[in-house]
Amino acid sequence: MITKEKLKDYANKLMFDMEDSEYETLLKEFDVIEKQMELVANLDGISKVKPMTFPFEMEYVEYREDNNTRTVDYKDALSNAKDVKNREIRVPKVVE
Amino acid sequence: MNSKYEVTIGLEVHCEVMTTSKMFSSAPNNYNETANENICEVDMGFPGILPVANMEAVKKSIMMAMALNCKLPEYMYFDRKNYYYPDLPKGYQITQSTEPVGVNGYINVYVNDEVKKIDIHDIHLEEDTASLDHYETYSLIDYNRCSVPLLETVTEPCIHSADEALAFLDSLRRIFLYTKISEARTDRGQMRCDVNISLAPVGSDKLGTKVEMKNINSFSNVKDAILYEIKRQSEILDEGGTIIMETRRYDDSTGKTYRMREKVEGVDYKYYVEPNIPPYKITDELISELKSKIPMLQFERINKYITEYDLSLYDASILTKNIETALYFEDVISKNIDPKIAANWINTRILGHVNKEEISINDCTFKTDDLVELIGYINKGTISTKQAKDVFYKCLDENKKPSVVIKENNMEQITDTNEILNVIKEVIEENMELALSYDPERGRTVDFFVGQIMKKTRGKANPKAAMDLIKEELLKLKK
Amino acid sequence: MSYLDKTLEEISSALKNGEVTSEDLVKESIDRAKKYQEKYNSFVTITEDKALSQVKELDKISDNPLKGIPYAIKDNFSTKGILSTASSNILKDYVPFFNATVVDKLNNCGSIMIGKSVLDELAMGGTGTTGHTGTVKNPWDEKRLIGGSSAGSAAAVASGIVPFSIGSDTGDSIRKPACYGGVVGYKPTYGRISRFGLFAFASSLDHVGCFTRSVSDVAYILDALKGRDEKDMTSLPDDNISYSKNLTKDVKGKKLFYIKDIVDRENYKDSMDEELDEILKNFDGIIKNCEDLGFVVEAVDFNKELLKAIFPAYITISCAEATSNNSNLTGIIFGPRAQGKSIDEVMFNSRTQGFSELIKRRFVLGSYILQKENQERLFLNAGRVRRLIVEKMTELFKKYDGMILPASGSVAPTFKSETIDKLSDRYLLLENHMAIGNFGGFPSITIPCGLVNNMPIGLNITSGIKKDLELLNIAYAIEDTMNYKGQIAGGVKSE
Repeated sequence: MITKEKLKDYANKLMFDMEDSEYETLLKEFDVIEKQMELVANLDGISKVKPMTFPFEMEYVEYREDNNTRTVDYKDALSNAKDVKNREIRVPKVVE
Repeated sequence: MNSKYEVTIGLEVHCEVMTTSKMFSSAPNNYNETANENICEVDMGFPGILPVANMEAVKKSIMMAMALNCKLPEYMYFDRKNYYYPDLPKGYQITQSTEPVGVNGYINVYVNDEVKKIDIHDIHLEEDTASLDHYETYSLIDYNRCSVPLLETVTEPCIHSADEALAFLDSLRRIFLYTKISEARTDRGQMRCDVNISLAPVGSDKLGTKVEMKNINSFSNVKDAILYEIKRQSEILDEGGTIIMETRRYDDSTGKTYRMREKVEGVDYKYYVEPNIPPYKITDELISELKSKIPMLQFERINKYITEYDLSLYDASILTKNIETALYFEDVISKNIDPKIAANWINTRILGHVNKEEISINDCTFKTDDLVELIGYINKGTISTKQAKDVFYKCLDENKKPSVVIKENNMEQITDTNEILNVIKEVIEENMELALSYDPERGRTVDFFVGQIMKKTRGKANPKAAMDLIKEELLKLKK
Repeated sequence: MSYLDKTLEEISSALKNGEVTSEDLVKESIDRAKKYQEKYNSFVTITEDKALSQVKELDKISDNPLKGIPYAIKDNFSTKGILSTASSNILKDYVPFFNATVVDKLNNCGSIMIGKSVLDELAMGGTGTTGHTGTVKNPWDEKRLIGGSSAGSAAAVASGIVPFSIGSDTGDSIRKPACYGGVVGYKPTYGRISRFGLFAFASSLDHVGCFTRSVSDVAYILDALKGRDEKDMTSLPDDNISYSKNLTKDVKGKKLFYIKDIVDRENYKDSMDEELDEILKNFDGIIKNCEDLGFVVEAVDFNKELLKAIFPAYITISCAEATSNNSNLTGIIFGPRAQGKSIDEVMFNSRTQGFSELIKRRFVLGSYILQKENQERLFLNAGRVRRLIVEKMTELFKKYDGMILPASGSVAPTFKSETIDKLSDRYLLLENHMAIGNFGGFPSITIPCGLVNNMPIGLNITSGIKKDLELLNIAYAIEDTMNYKGQIAGGVKSE
C-alpha cells in the first residue's frame, strides 16, 4: 500500500522534497499507473518473455581500443562549479 | 586468540586495472598527483555524455575471471548502481550486477604450509569514484580517479582467520602482478579491501552478526583490523552482549576500529542494465586468445618447484613471489644448473641485492648467464664457494662478467694435480721429519702441510685437491 | 516571399547563385526569432552574436547543401560556450564547454545556429508548457499548444523562423509537435544519428531528429548528421549512401499497413467528435491516395491489449531511466548550487529548488519502478511489453515497407482543454502509438496531411530498422499527393 509518507521517503532518497499537496497529486498518479500496469501484468504469457533493454540487437558493436587519450583543461571542467579552490571543487565537509 | 568463537570473514577487494585510458572515457588512466589533470566531461557526468567501454579493460577482466577459475558469462554487459554521493558525479556507478564477468570461482593459497581453497563469489568490472580530500571545514573533490577501471573480487564467507585473509590477499595480488592486469600498488590506493567479519560460537550452524570494515588500504592494516575486531567482538560476546550490524572504520594510528554508521538493512541501489553499452559477445576465440596470455601462476609454480625440483615450500614461495624472479630461476636451471643451488643463489645473494636496491630482478646487471657461469666455476672447482661470493659482488660493483673478475683478480684455483704435486714435493723435502712421523689418525700434520701448500701457491691451490694429494703422498712415505 | 521560406535545396542554390547572402538570411532569421519571441516563446536563447560572427567565417567551409543556412536547436543539446538549460531551473546557468556531435557536424557544414529552443523541462512532457522560461504557443493559433517536448524547435520551423531545426524524440517528442505545427518531423533509426551531447532523458528510447518543411529537406539533414560516432557506442556504422541523391517517388508495388484497431471508429464510439471524424476521414483519403500511387495498403490486426500497454510501458521505462539519468543534477559540478550546511543538504536543496513538481513526480515514479520489490512487476514487465510489440512489428516489417497511421486523434489542444482520460481507448490507442518507433528504434516520420478546423493534422509513417531511405521515399511519394509541402503557419507556402 502506497502512502504519502512512503512517497516522501522515496523523494527524499532521490535528494529532494515536495509540497504536501504535490504528494497528493502523486498518489493519484501512482493509482493510474498501477492500474495500467495491472493490465500489462495480465497480458497472455507475459512472464515468459525476456525483458528488452536495447531497441534492437546491435550486431556491430565495437568496444573502444585502448590506445588514445584525451583530456579537458581543468579550467573548463570547473568553469560551471560554484566553489572552486586551487584545482578542485570545494564542498561542505563530507563526513564519512 | 579466543577459541570459543568461530570467525567468518568475507573479503571484497577492489583493484585498479592497468590500461592506457579510463574505463568509460578516453581520459588517461595514470596516477597523477596534480588534481583534475586526467579528466574529461564523461568522467564528471556532464549532461549529454555517454560511456564508451574500454576493450583492454574488458579483456583484462575476462583474463582475471579465468585466472580465478570463474564461470564466464555469454555476453559482457554492465549495470547501473544508483546512489548519491559527492564522489560519484553521475549519481550512478557503472558496474556489473546481473552478469558479472566471473562467478563461482576459487583459488588455492598456502596458509603457512597448508593449502586452503578460497571460494570466489564473483568478480566484476566497474568504474572507480572521485577522491575526496578532507580539510578542517570543507572537502575538495579530485576527479582524476573517476572512471578508472576497477575489478572487484568478492569472496564467499569462507575465510576463518587473519592469516587466511592475508594469504588470500597476497595470492590475489600476485595474480594481478603475474598477469600484468594491475600494478596492485597499495601505497597508491590501487588495491583496497572491505572486510566483512562475524563471530559465532564454535559449532553453531548460524553465522553471527556481520560487521563491515570499509576501504582498508594496506594488508598489514587488514590483519590488524581483523585481529582487533575478533578481540572486540569476543569481549562483547563474552559479556553476553550483542554485536550490532554496522560499518566500522579502521584507524591505523590507534590500531582500533571505530563505528561509522549503522548498516541499514539492504540499501536499494536500483540496479538496471546500462542502456548505453550494447552487450559484447565473449567468443571462444577471445577466450582462447586471453587464456594463452595467462602465465603459470604462483600456486602452480610453487607446487611444480616442490615436486619437480625438490625445493622447500619456503624457497619455492620466495622464488615465485613475482614472475620475473620465477622466470630468472627457470632460465638458470634450464642450463643444467642444480635447482637447489640456483634457488639458494637467487634467494640469498641476488634477491638480497635486488631488494636492497629496490629494483626488479630484470634490471639487475647480474644476468642469468652470469649466474650459470659463476655456478659452473664453482662446480669445476675453479673457484671456491667463498670466492664466488666475492666474484658476485665484484661483478655487481664493476658491472663485469664473472670470467673477467676471476681473471683480473687472479682467482683461478690450481686444480692441476701435477702442479700441486710439485709443490707437495717441495714442502715434504723441507719438512721431511714431520712427514715421516705422519699418523693418519691425527689430522694436525695434514693441516700443517695443507697450510704450507696454500702459502706456496698464495692460496690458489684447490684446498680439497691439496688435502687429498698430501694424504696420499704422506701414506706413500710410510710404506 | 523570403528565401527563408523555401526548401533547403532552393535556399542552397539561391545562396550559390548569389541571389541571397547567408548574412541576409541569418539576419532575417534572427529578426523573425526576435519578432515572434514574445508571441510564441520558441527560444531560451537567441544566439545573435555568435551567429553573425559565424557567418563571417563561411569562406573556410566547402560547399554543401546546409552551408550558410540558419537553424534552431533544442536547448537539451550541449553547445560549447552557449547556455544549455534543458528548460529547467536546475540548469538555468549551465554553459557547456563541449559540443554535441550533431552541433559539431552542423558547424562543420557551415549551418548557422540562431537559437536554442524551448522544451518541456528536461524533455519530459508533451505539451511545451513546462519549460522554465514559459509556455510555447502554436504559431497557427496562440490559444493552442504546439506539443512537446521539442516545442520551440517545432514552433520555430512552423512559424518560418528557420528552415529546419533539431529536436529529440523519446516517445513522440518530435513527431507529435510536428503534427500540431503542420511541419515535417523525423526521427531516424536508433543509432543512425549520434546522441552524444543530447541531455539524456531515457537513453534506450532517446533519438536525435529534425523538423523541416519538406521530406527532401530531411534527406539533406540526415546526410549531414548520420554516421558512426566513437563517443556513442550505440551509434550505427555509416551506411555510405546519400539520402538526398537516392530519394525517389517510385513506390510501385511497395506495401503499407495500418493497425486496424487504432483507426477503428468502433473503438471511439463514446468519444467521437467532429475533429476525430475528420481526421479518420482524412486518413481514409490518404489510403486511397497511396493506392493510386501504386502502394498496396492493408489493414492488420494487432493485439489490442498490447496496444493499450504501450503508454504504461513507455511511462514505466522512460521514468525509470530518467530518474537515473538526471541524478547528475546536484549543483556540485554545474548548475545553481543551493545553500546547505552539509554536502547532502546542498544536493538536497539544489534539487528541491531546481526541479518543478512535474519532474519530481516523474522521478519518484521512476525510482519506485526500479525498486527491488517492484522491478519485476513494473520495470521488467514494461521491458517485456516492449519486446512483444517490437517483435510483432519486426515481423510485420518483413512483409511491409511501412506503417501509416494518423499522428494524433485531434488537432493541437487549446491550453484550456481538459486533460484527456488516460485510461480511455482514445488516449491509449490514438495518442500514444508513436512510441512504438522508440521501443524498436524504428525510423519514423510525421508529415502534414491536412487541415481540420484550420489547424494542421499529420500522418505518421514508420519503417523497419535501418530502412530510413525506404521510409523517406514513402513519405516523399505521399507528400507529393498533397499540397502541404513547405507549409508555414497560417497557410503560407513556398510554391
